[in-house]
Amino acid sequence: MNEPKLVFAGTMGAGKTTAISAISEIPPISTDVANTDLDAHAKLATTVALDYGEVTFGKNSKLRLYGTPGQDRFDFIWSLLARDALGVILLVDNSRPAPLTDLNQYLDAFGDAIEQGRLVIGVGRMEEFPLPNLEAYLEHLDARQLLVPVIPVDVRRREDVLLLIESLFRQIECLLEVTTGGEPEDDWSELVRTAREGSE
Amino acid sequence: MSDRMKLPEPIAAVVEESVRGVHRRVPGVTGCIAATVDGRLLEHVVDNTADPRRMAAMIGSMVALGETIGKEVRIGRSQFVVVHALDGILLMQRVPSRKELLVVATLARTTTNLGVVLHETRRAAGEIGEALDRWLQSSAA
Repeated sequence: MNEPKLVFAGTMGAGKTTAISAISEIPPISTDVANTDLDAHAKLATTVALDYGEVTFGKNSKLRLYGTPGQDRFDFIWSLLARDALGVILLVDNSRPAPLTDLNQYLDAFGDAIEQGRLVIGVGRMEEFPLPNLEAYLEHLDARQLLVPVIPVDVRRREDVLLLIESLFRQIECLLEVTTGGEPEDDWSELVRTAREGSE
Repeated sequence: MSDRMKLPEPIAAVVEESVRGVHRRVPGVTGCIAATVDGRLLEHVVDNTADPRRMAAMIGSMVALGETIGKEVRIGRSQFVVVHALDGILLMQRVPSRKELLVVATLARTTTNLGVVLHETRRAAGEIGEALDRWLQSSAA
């Protein structure tokens, strides 16, 4: 397998479409329609099926980038897109009323990715909305006995989104060191290793 | 955040009658649903045990995907999307109106003529679209 899949998940308005647009090397494919739920979010359009983009990582490794719809009524798509994904980048919007509660919902939904250590959390709008801070996020995850990287990001910035992906790769590699003594355990892991070697 | 939207009364009445009308007129039709383009349930009649709220979300996704795919493969704008399954048909389409905010879908037995399902779904969509346009026009005046 040489074109692994990454999934961007998170609440409505967290920046999934923006993150994919920031790094995609092809014009992103979107399924945006009018947002009729202005109580939930003031934005005019919302993704209802998926976003899609592509980015080259390392020498020749192409990553396929999928964005999920944020609203939980679309949870049937979350599991479809997460199937066989290399990992999940979970975006949290710190300007929302209860970001940690939002986080719980997605941690529950993407339990398989977490179990395999293939999840990274990016927290947006942290400069304007500093609470909960990173410590609160880590404590929250610790209470759930989870060790997941949490990174403040501005998903409009290409380098921030690439940092999330790099952190995910590192997370997968660290887990490999622990579980297999560094030997790749599957095609995905092999590919992550190859991609990272190519980018160094 | 709500998965169900309350429509202005004049539109709600037409939506209800149109959805129920499709179900009433065609013997093989086992359900009809109206929803917003972003997957929120407006009105439904469904004979089986499927969850209409989940159906509304899926219909929103499928109609949007159909339109995206139509554009990507250079075949123009999707008119409707059909799931032809072993035990039934689901036909989904956008409601034509000045502001494209709604979708309609019809669920039918496989023995039902697809042309009839399409005709009835289009008719319902047209009625709802006209009501929506009338309301938008009167609100703007």
